[in-house]
Amino acid sequence: MEIHESNPWKTLLALSVFVVILIVGFFTMRTPLLTYKLDMKQSIEEMKNTDACFYPWQLNGVITNETKNIVLFDLRNNFVFGQGHIPGAENLSAQDLTKEESIERLEDLKNGNFIVVLYGEDQLQANGPWMLFRQVGFDNVKVLLGGYQYYLLHKDNLLATKTDSIFQKGVPKYNFAEMAAPKNGASVNSTPAKKTVEVTRRKKSGGAAGGC
Amino acid sequence: MNRNYIYLTLLMLILAFGTLMIKKTNEPKQIEPQQLLFELIQPTRYVSTDQVAKMIIQNDPSLELIDVRNSKEFEIFSLPKAINVPIDSLISKNSLLNFGIPGTKVVFISNDDIAADQVWILTKRLGFKSTYVMKGGLNQWIETIIDPKSPVESDPALAFETYAFRKGAQLYFTGAKTENAEPAKVKVEVQRKKKSGGAAGGC
Repeated sequence: MEIHESNPWKTLLALSVFVVILIVGFFTMRTPLLTYKLDMKQSIEEMKNTDACFYPWQLNGVITNETKNIVLFDLRNNFVFGQGHIPGAENLSAQDLTKEESIERLEDLKNGNFIVVLYGEDQLQANGPWMLFRQVGFDNVKVLLGGYQYYLLHKDNLLATKTDSIFQKGVPKYNFAEMAAPKNGASVNSTPAKKTVEVTRRKKSGGAAGGC
Repeated sequence: MNRNYIYLTLLMLILAFGTLMIKKTNEPKQIEPQQLLFELIQPTRYVSTDQVAKMIIQNDPSLELIDVRNSKEFEIFSLPKAINVPIDSLISKNSLLNFGIPGTKVVFISNDDIAADQVWILTKRLGFKSTYVMKGGLNQWIETIIDPKSPVESDPALAFETYAFRKGAQLYFTGAKTENAEPAKVKVEVQRKKKSGGAAGGC
Protein backbone atom coordinates (compact mmCIF):
# COMPACT_ATOMS: atom_id res chain seq x y z
CA MET A 1 0.00 0.00 0.00
CA GLU A 2 1.32 3.46 -0.93
CA ILE A 3 1.81 6.13 1.70
CA HIS A 4 -0.70 8.61 0.29
CA GLU A 5 -3.39 6.01 0.19
CA SER A 6 -3.12 5.69 3.90
CA ASN A 7 -3.88 9.39 4.15
CA PRO A 8 -6.33 10.39 1.37
CA TRP A 9 -7.12 13.74 3.00
CA LYS A 10 -3.61 14.99 2.41
CA THR A 11 -3.89 14.21 -1.28
CA LEU A 12 -7.26 15.95 -1.50
CA LEU A 13 -5.83 19.03 0.24
CA ALA A 14 -2.88 19.21 -2.13
CA LEU A 15 -5.23 18.81 -5.08
CA SER A 16 -7.59 21.55 -3.95
CA VAL A 17 -4.68 23.95 -3.32
CA PHE A 18 -3.49 23.23 -6.84
CA VAL A 19 -6.92 23.94 -8.29
CA VAL A 20 -7.32 27.14 -6.24
CA ILE A 21 -3.98 28.46 -7.51
CA LEU A 22 -5.05 27.74 -11.08
CA ILE A 23 -8.36 29.55 -10.61
CA VAL A 24 -6.74 32.57 -8.95
CA GLY A 25 -4.17 32.72 -11.73
CA PHE A 26 -6.88 32.59 -14.37
CA PHE A 27 -8.86 35.47 -12.89
CA THR A 28 -5.91 37.72 -12.19
CA MET A 29 -4.46 37.22 -15.68
CA ARG A 30 -3.47 40.67 -16.96
CA THR A 31 -5.75 41.63 -19.79
CA PRO A 32 -4.02 43.73 -22.44
CA LEU A 33 -4.84 47.44 -22.39
CA LEU A 34 -5.91 47.42 -26.02
CA THR A 35 -7.32 44.68 -28.20
CA TYR A 36 -8.31 44.82 -31.84
CA LYS A 37 -12.03 45.17 -32.31
CA LEU A 38 -11.89 45.37 -36.09
CA ASP A 39 -10.25 42.74 -38.25
CA MET A 40 -8.16 43.68 -41.27
CA LYS A 41 -11.08 43.85 -43.72
CA GLN A 42 -13.14 46.00 -41.37
CA SER A 43 -10.15 48.25 -40.76
CA ILE A 44 -9.82 48.90 -44.47
CA GLU A 45 -13.53 49.71 -44.71
CA GLU A 46 -13.22 51.99 -41.70
CA MET A 47 -10.68 54.18 -43.49
CA LYS A 48 -13.36 55.15 -46.00
CA ASN A 49 -15.80 56.05 -43.26
CA THR A 50 -16.50 59.76 -43.72
CA ASP A 51 -18.21 59.80 -40.34
CA ALA A 52 -14.80 59.20 -38.80
CA CYS A 53 -13.51 62.49 -40.21
CA PHE A 54 -13.84 65.92 -38.69
CA TYR A 55 -14.11 68.77 -41.13
CA PRO A 56 -12.39 72.11 -40.54
CA TRP A 57 -15.65 74.08 -40.56
CA GLN A 58 -16.99 71.90 -37.77
CA LEU A 59 -14.35 73.50 -35.58
CA ASN A 60 -16.44 76.66 -35.33
CA GLY A 61 -18.71 75.15 -32.72
CA VAL A 62 -15.78 73.89 -30.70
CA ILE A 63 -13.95 77.21 -30.68
CA THR A 64 -17.02 79.17 -29.58
CA ASN A 65 -17.64 76.46 -26.97
CA GLU A 66 -21.14 75.76 -28.24
CA THR A 67 -20.71 72.06 -28.75
CA LYS A 68 -19.84 70.68 -25.34
CA ASN A 69 -19.36 67.04 -26.25
CA ILE A 70 -16.26 67.44 -28.40
CA VAL A 71 -12.72 67.21 -27.05
CA LEU A 72 -9.83 68.33 -29.22
CA PHE A 73 -6.47 66.63 -28.72
CA ASP A 74 -3.32 68.23 -30.06
CA LEU A 75 -0.83 65.46 -30.83
CA ARG A 76 2.14 67.78 -31.36
CA ASN A 77 4.74 68.14 -28.69
CA ASN A 78 4.37 70.47 -25.75
CA PHE A 79 6.70 73.15 -27.11
CA VAL A 80 4.92 73.57 -30.44
CA PHE A 81 1.59 73.43 -28.64
CA GLY A 82 2.68 76.36 -26.50
CA GLN A 83 3.46 78.41 -29.57
CA GLY A 84 -0.08 78.15 -30.85
CA HIS A 85 -2.98 75.75 -31.02
CA ILE A 86 -6.66 75.58 -31.83
CA PRO A 87 -8.59 77.30 -29.01
CA GLY A 88 -9.97 74.78 -26.55
CA ALA A 89 -7.58 72.01 -27.56
CA GLU A 90 -5.78 69.87 -25.03
CA ASN A 91 -2.21 68.81 -25.50
CA LEU A 92 -1.66 65.06 -25.70
CA SER A 93 1.62 64.66 -27.48
CA ALA A 94 2.00 61.56 -29.62
CA GLN A 95 4.80 60.26 -27.40
CA ASP A 96 2.40 60.15 -24.45
CA LEU A 97 -0.26 58.19 -26.31
CA THR A 98 1.17 54.84 -25.27
CA LYS A 99 0.88 55.75 -21.59
CA GLU A 100 -1.80 54.03 -19.58
CA GLU A 101 -3.31 57.32 -18.42
CA SER A 102 -3.93 58.42 -22.00
CA ILE A 103 -5.76 55.22 -22.84
CA GLU A 104 -7.81 55.46 -19.66
CA ARG A 105 -8.65 59.07 -20.47
CA LEU A 106 -9.89 58.01 -23.89
CA GLU A 107 -11.97 55.27 -22.32
CA ASP A 108 -13.55 57.75 -19.91
CA LEU A 109 -14.35 60.08 -22.78
CA LYS A 110 -15.90 57.24 -24.74
CA ASN A 111 -18.07 56.25 -21.80
CA GLY A 112 -19.08 59.89 -21.38
CA ASN A 113 -20.26 60.00 -25.02
CA PHE A 114 -17.64 62.57 -25.94
CA ILE A 115 -16.32 62.86 -29.47
CA VAL A 116 -12.54 62.96 -29.55
CA VAL A 117 -10.89 64.86 -32.41
CA LEU A 118 -7.19 64.27 -33.03
CA TYR A 119 -5.01 66.67 -34.96
CA GLY A 120 -1.33 67.11 -35.66
CA GLU A 121 0.80 69.52 -37.65
CA ASP A 122 -0.61 67.97 -40.79
CA GLN A 123 -3.20 65.29 -41.25
CA LEU A 124 -0.50 62.67 -41.60
CA GLN A 125 0.62 63.09 -38.00
CA ALA A 126 -2.81 62.25 -36.65
CA ASN A 127 -3.53 59.57 -39.24
CA GLY A 128 -1.72 56.73 -37.48
CA PRO A 129 -3.15 57.23 -33.97
CA TRP A 130 -6.61 57.79 -35.44
CA MET A 131 -6.49 54.52 -37.38
CA LEU A 132 -5.22 52.56 -34.41
CA PHE A 133 -7.82 53.89 -32.00
CA ARG A 134 -10.55 53.09 -34.49
CA GLN A 135 -9.19 49.55 -34.86
CA VAL A 136 -9.21 48.96 -31.12
CA GLY A 137 -12.80 50.07 -30.83
CA PHE A 138 -12.75 53.78 -29.99
CA ASP A 139 -15.48 54.65 -32.47
CA ASN A 140 -15.74 58.15 -31.01
CA VAL A 141 -12.28 59.15 -32.26
CA LYS A 142 -12.15 61.36 -35.34
CA VAL A 143 -9.34 62.97 -37.30
CA LEU A 144 -9.22 66.65 -38.24
CA LEU A 145 -8.85 66.86 -42.00
CA GLY A 146 -6.01 69.09 -43.11
CA GLY A 147 -4.41 69.25 -39.69
CA TYR A 148 -3.23 72.32 -37.84
CA GLN A 149 -1.52 73.99 -40.80
CA TYR A 150 -4.71 74.01 -42.80
CA TYR A 151 -6.62 75.42 -39.84
CA LEU A 152 -4.03 78.15 -39.40
CA LEU A 153 -4.43 79.27 -43.01
CA HIS A 154 -8.20 79.47 -42.78
CA LYS A 155 -8.90 80.25 -39.16
CA ASP A 156 -10.49 83.59 -39.96
CA ASN A 157 -13.09 82.05 -42.16
CA LEU A 158 -13.51 78.38 -41.45
CA LEU A 159 -16.95 78.25 -43.04
CA ALA A 160 -15.42 79.07 -46.39
CA THR A 161 -13.53 75.79 -46.32
CA LYS A 162 -16.80 74.02 -47.08
CA THR A 163 -16.23 74.75 -50.74
CA ASP A 164 -12.49 74.26 -50.57
CA SER A 165 -11.13 70.90 -51.59
CA ILE A 166 -7.42 71.34 -50.87
CA PHE A 167 -7.62 69.56 -47.55
CA GLN A 168 -9.16 66.53 -49.21
CA LYS A 169 -6.45 63.93 -49.18
CA GLY A 170 -5.58 61.24 -51.66
CA VAL A 171 -6.29 63.41 -54.68
CA PRO A 172 -3.67 63.93 -57.37
CA LYS A 173 -2.83 67.63 -57.64
CA TYR A 174 -1.29 67.30 -61.07
CA ASN A 175 -1.67 65.40 -64.25
CA PHE A 176 1.23 63.10 -63.49
CA ALA A 177 1.55 61.56 -66.93
CA GLU A 178 1.67 64.94 -68.60
CA MET A 179 4.08 66.45 -66.12
CA ALA A 180 6.48 63.54 -66.28
CA ALA A 181 6.39 63.25 -70.06
CA PRO A 182 9.75 63.76 -71.80
CA LYS A 183 10.56 67.44 -71.79
CA ASN A 184 11.49 69.26 -74.96
CA GLY A 185 14.86 70.94 -75.16
CA ALA A 186 13.58 74.42 -74.34
CA SER A 187 12.58 73.82 -70.77
CA VAL A 188 15.74 71.89 -70.01
CA ASN A 189 17.98 74.54 -71.53
CA SER A 190 16.56 77.13 -69.19
CA THR A 191 18.54 75.59 -66.34
CA PRO A 192 22.09 76.81 -67.13
CA ALA A 193 20.87 80.42 -67.01
CA LYS A 194 19.66 79.93 -63.45
CA LYS A 195 22.88 78.17 -62.66
CA THR A 196 24.96 81.35 -62.96
CA VAL A 197 23.14 82.79 -59.97
CA GLU A 198 24.37 79.88 -57.96
CA VAL A 199 27.98 80.40 -58.98
CA THR A 200 28.08 84.03 -57.86
CA ARG A 201 26.65 83.03 -54.52
CA ARG A 202 29.31 80.43 -53.92
CA LYS A 203 32.00 82.99 -54.66
CA LYS A 204 30.62 85.40 -52.12
CA SER A 205 30.59 82.89 -49.29
CA GLY A 206 34.14 81.86 -50.20
CA GLY A 207 35.31 85.47 -49.84
CA ALA A 208 33.82 85.76 -46.39
CA ALA A 209 35.55 82.57 -45.29
CA GLY A 210 38.91 83.87 -46.52
CA GLY A 211 38.53 86.92 -44.33
CA CYS A 212 39.37 85.07 -41.18
CA MET B 1 -7.75 0.17 -7.82
CA ASN B 2 -6.05 3.31 -6.60
CA ARG B 3 -8.77 5.96 -6.45
CA ASN B 4 -6.39 8.90 -6.05
CA TYR B 5 -4.64 8.09 -9.29
CA ILE B 6 -7.96 8.16 -11.10
CA TYR B 7 -8.76 11.60 -9.69
CA LEU B 8 -5.37 12.92 -10.70
CA THR B 9 -5.68 11.52 -14.21
CA LEU B 10 -9.15 13.02 -14.57
CA LEU B 11 -7.90 16.43 -13.43
CA MET B 12 -5.06 16.38 -15.91
CA LEU B 13 -7.41 15.37 -18.72
CA ILE B 14 -9.77 18.23 -17.85
CA LEU B 15 -6.89 20.70 -17.88
CA ALA B 16 -5.66 19.34 -21.18
CA PHE B 17 -9.08 19.88 -22.74
CA GLY B 18 -9.12 23.31 -21.14
CA THR B 19 -6.06 24.36 -23.15
CA LEU B 20 -7.91 23.43 -26.32
CA MET B 21 -10.55 26.02 -25.48
CA ILE B 22 -8.03 28.88 -25.13
CA LYS B 23 -6.81 29.14 -28.71
CA LYS B 24 -9.99 29.62 -30.61
CA THR B 25 -9.06 32.62 -32.75
CA ASN B 26 -8.09 31.93 -36.31
CA GLU B 27 -7.02 35.53 -36.96
CA PRO B 28 -3.78 35.95 -38.89
CA LYS B 29 -0.68 36.63 -36.87
CA GLN B 30 -0.54 40.28 -35.91
CA ILE B 31 1.35 42.45 -33.47
CA GLU B 32 -0.16 43.79 -30.24
CA PRO B 33 -2.08 47.07 -30.54
CA GLN B 34 0.18 48.73 -28.01
CA GLN B 35 3.26 47.71 -29.95
CA LEU B 36 1.64 49.06 -33.11
CA LEU B 37 0.80 52.33 -31.38
CA PHE B 38 4.38 52.63 -30.20
CA GLU B 39 5.73 52.08 -33.71
CA LEU B 40 3.35 54.39 -35.48
CA ILE B 41 4.18 57.44 -33.40
CA GLN B 42 7.79 57.24 -34.59
CA PRO B 43 8.48 59.32 -37.68
CA THR B 44 11.23 56.94 -38.85
CA ARG B 45 9.01 55.37 -41.51
CA TYR B 46 9.06 58.41 -43.78
CA VAL B 47 11.47 58.67 -46.67
CA SER B 48 11.77 61.74 -48.88
CA THR B 49 11.22 61.84 -52.61
CA ASP B 50 14.92 62.68 -52.99
CA GLN B 51 15.91 59.48 -51.23
CA VAL B 52 13.58 57.42 -53.40
CA ALA B 53 14.86 59.13 -56.57
CA LYS B 54 18.44 58.44 -55.55
CA MET B 55 17.69 54.77 -54.97
CA ILE B 56 15.95 54.44 -58.33
CA ILE B 57 18.83 56.14 -60.16
CA GLN B 58 21.41 54.00 -58.39
CA ASN B 59 19.35 50.96 -59.32
CA ASP B 60 19.26 49.83 -55.70
CA PRO B 61 18.24 46.15 -55.79
CA SER B 62 16.77 46.29 -52.30
CA LEU B 63 14.20 48.92 -53.23
CA GLU B 64 10.64 47.71 -53.73
CA LEU B 65 8.15 50.39 -54.68
CA ILE B 66 4.54 49.56 -53.88
CA ASP B 67 1.97 51.82 -55.47
CA VAL B 68 -1.28 51.70 -53.48
CA ARG B 69 -3.43 53.74 -55.87
CA ASN B 70 -6.09 52.02 -57.96
CA SER B 71 -5.06 50.25 -61.14
CA LYS B 72 -6.48 52.94 -63.41
CA GLU B 73 -4.33 55.65 -61.89
CA PHE B 74 -1.40 53.26 -61.88
CA GLU B 75 -1.67 52.62 -65.60
CA ILE B 76 -1.66 56.31 -66.43
CA PHE B 77 1.49 57.06 -64.49
CA SER B 78 3.74 55.18 -62.13
CA LEU B 79 7.30 55.27 -60.93
CA PRO B 80 9.78 52.93 -62.63
CA LYS B 81 9.54 49.31 -61.43
CA ALA B 82 6.67 50.11 -59.06
CA ILE B 83 4.26 47.29 -58.23
CA ASN B 84 0.56 48.06 -58.04
CA VAL B 85 -1.19 46.84 -54.88
CA PRO B 86 -4.48 48.75 -54.50
CA ILE B 87 -5.72 49.11 -50.92
CA ASP B 88 -8.87 47.13 -51.67
CA SER B 89 -6.93 44.05 -52.69
CA LEU B 90 -4.30 44.43 -50.00
CA ILE B 91 -5.49 41.56 -47.84
CA SER B 92 -5.08 38.82 -50.37
CA LYS B 93 -2.39 36.19 -50.37
CA ASN B 94 -0.93 37.40 -53.65
CA SER B 95 -0.58 40.96 -52.46
CA LEU B 96 0.91 40.04 -49.15
CA LEU B 97 3.61 38.00 -50.89
CA ASN B 98 5.15 41.33 -51.92
CA PHE B 99 6.02 42.21 -48.36
CA GLY B 100 8.50 40.85 -45.90
CA ILE B 101 11.02 39.62 -48.46
CA PRO B 102 14.36 39.56 -46.62
CA GLY B 103 16.74 42.28 -47.74
CA THR B 104 14.16 44.50 -49.37
CA LYS B 105 12.94 47.91 -48.39
CA VAL B 106 9.29 48.38 -49.25
CA VAL B 107 8.29 51.97 -49.98
CA PHE B 108 4.58 52.76 -50.22
CA ILE B 109 3.46 55.40 -52.68
CA SER B 110 0.11 57.10 -53.20
CA ASN B 111 -1.09 60.44 -54.53
CA ASP B 112 -0.19 62.07 -51.25
CA ASP B 113 1.03 60.23 -48.19
CA ILE B 114 -2.19 59.45 -46.31
CA ALA B 115 -3.19 56.31 -48.21
CA ALA B 116 0.40 55.06 -48.22
CA ASP B 117 0.60 55.67 -44.49
CA GLN B 118 -2.62 53.75 -43.96
CA VAL B 119 -1.28 50.78 -45.86
CA TRP B 120 1.91 51.03 -43.80
CA ILE B 121 -0.13 50.73 -40.62
CA LEU B 122 -2.15 47.80 -41.94
CA THR B 123 0.94 45.89 -43.00
CA LYS B 124 2.68 46.79 -39.76
CA ARG B 125 -0.24 45.31 -37.87
CA LEU B 126 0.42 42.09 -39.76
CA GLY B 127 4.00 42.27 -38.54
CA PHE B 128 5.86 43.13 -41.75
CA LYS B 129 9.20 44.83 -41.22
CA SER B 130 11.32 47.35 -43.15
CA THR B 131 8.40 49.14 -44.76
CA TYR B 132 8.45 52.86 -45.49
CA VAL B 133 6.23 55.66 -46.69
CA MET B 134 7.25 58.18 -49.32
CA LYS B 135 6.42 61.47 -47.67
CA GLY B 136 4.30 63.76 -49.81
CA GLY B 137 3.58 61.00 -52.31
CA LEU B 138 3.43 61.58 -56.04
CA ASN B 139 2.29 65.18 -55.60
CA GLN B 140 5.56 65.85 -53.83
CA TRP B 141 7.39 63.81 -56.45
CA ILE B 142 6.14 66.14 -59.17
CA GLU B 143 6.97 69.23 -57.11
CA THR B 144 10.49 68.16 -56.20
CA ILE B 145 11.79 65.79 -58.86
CA ILE B 146 9.82 66.38 -62.04
CA ASP B 147 9.42 70.13 -61.65
CA PRO B 148 11.87 71.33 -58.99
CA LYS B 149 11.77 74.98 -58.00
CA SER B 150 15.07 76.79 -58.01
CA PRO B 151 16.09 78.12 -54.60
CA VAL B 152 16.38 81.85 -54.07
CA GLU B 153 19.72 83.42 -53.28
CA SER B 154 19.09 83.70 -49.57
CA ASP B 155 18.60 79.93 -49.22
CA PRO B 156 21.32 77.87 -47.54
CA ALA B 157 23.92 76.15 -49.69
CA LEU B 158 22.25 72.83 -48.98
CA ALA B 159 19.18 73.96 -50.90
CA PHE B 160 21.37 74.52 -53.94
CA GLU B 161 22.92 71.10 -53.63
CA THR B 162 19.49 69.52 -53.39
CA TYR B 163 18.38 71.54 -56.38
CA ALA B 164 21.39 70.40 -58.40
CA PHE B 165 20.54 66.80 -57.59
CA ARG B 166 16.88 67.30 -58.42
CA LYS B 167 17.73 68.86 -61.76
CA GLY B 168 19.82 65.84 -62.57
CA ALA B 169 17.05 63.54 -61.41
CA GLN B 170 14.58 65.49 -63.53
CA LEU B 171 16.65 64.74 -66.61
CA TYR B 172 16.81 61.09 -65.62
CA PHE B 173 13.10 60.68 -65.08
CA THR B 174 11.80 62.79 -67.93
CA GLY B 175 14.00 61.07 -70.51
CA ALA B 176 17.33 62.85 -70.89
CA LYS B 177 18.92 63.16 -74.31
CA THR B 178 22.64 63.55 -75.02
CA GLU B 179 22.47 67.33 -75.29
CA ASN B 180 20.83 67.44 -71.88
CA ALA B 181 23.88 65.81 -70.34
CA GLU B 182 25.86 69.04 -70.68
CA PRO B 183 24.14 71.04 -67.96
CA ALA B 184 24.78 68.14 -65.63
CA LYS B 185 28.53 68.45 -66.30
CA VAL B 186 28.40 72.16 -65.50
CA LYS B 187 27.01 71.26 -62.11
CA VAL B 188 29.99 69.09 -61.29
CA GLU B 189 32.36 71.94 -62.09
CA VAL B 190 30.49 74.26 -59.81
CA GLN B 191 30.75 71.87 -56.93
CA ARG B 192 34.50 71.64 -57.37
CA LYS B 193 34.85 75.39 -57.12
CA LYS B 194 33.10 75.31 -53.82
CA LYS B 195 35.58 72.81 -52.49
CA SER B 196 38.57 74.98 -53.30
CA GLY B 197 36.82 77.88 -51.62
CA GLY B 198 36.62 75.81 -48.47
CA ALA B 199 40.35 75.19 -48.53
CA ALA B 200 41.02 78.93 -48.76
CA GLY B 201 38.90 79.46 -45.69
CA GLY B 202 41.09 77.02 -43.81
CA CYS B 203 44.00 79.45 -43.53
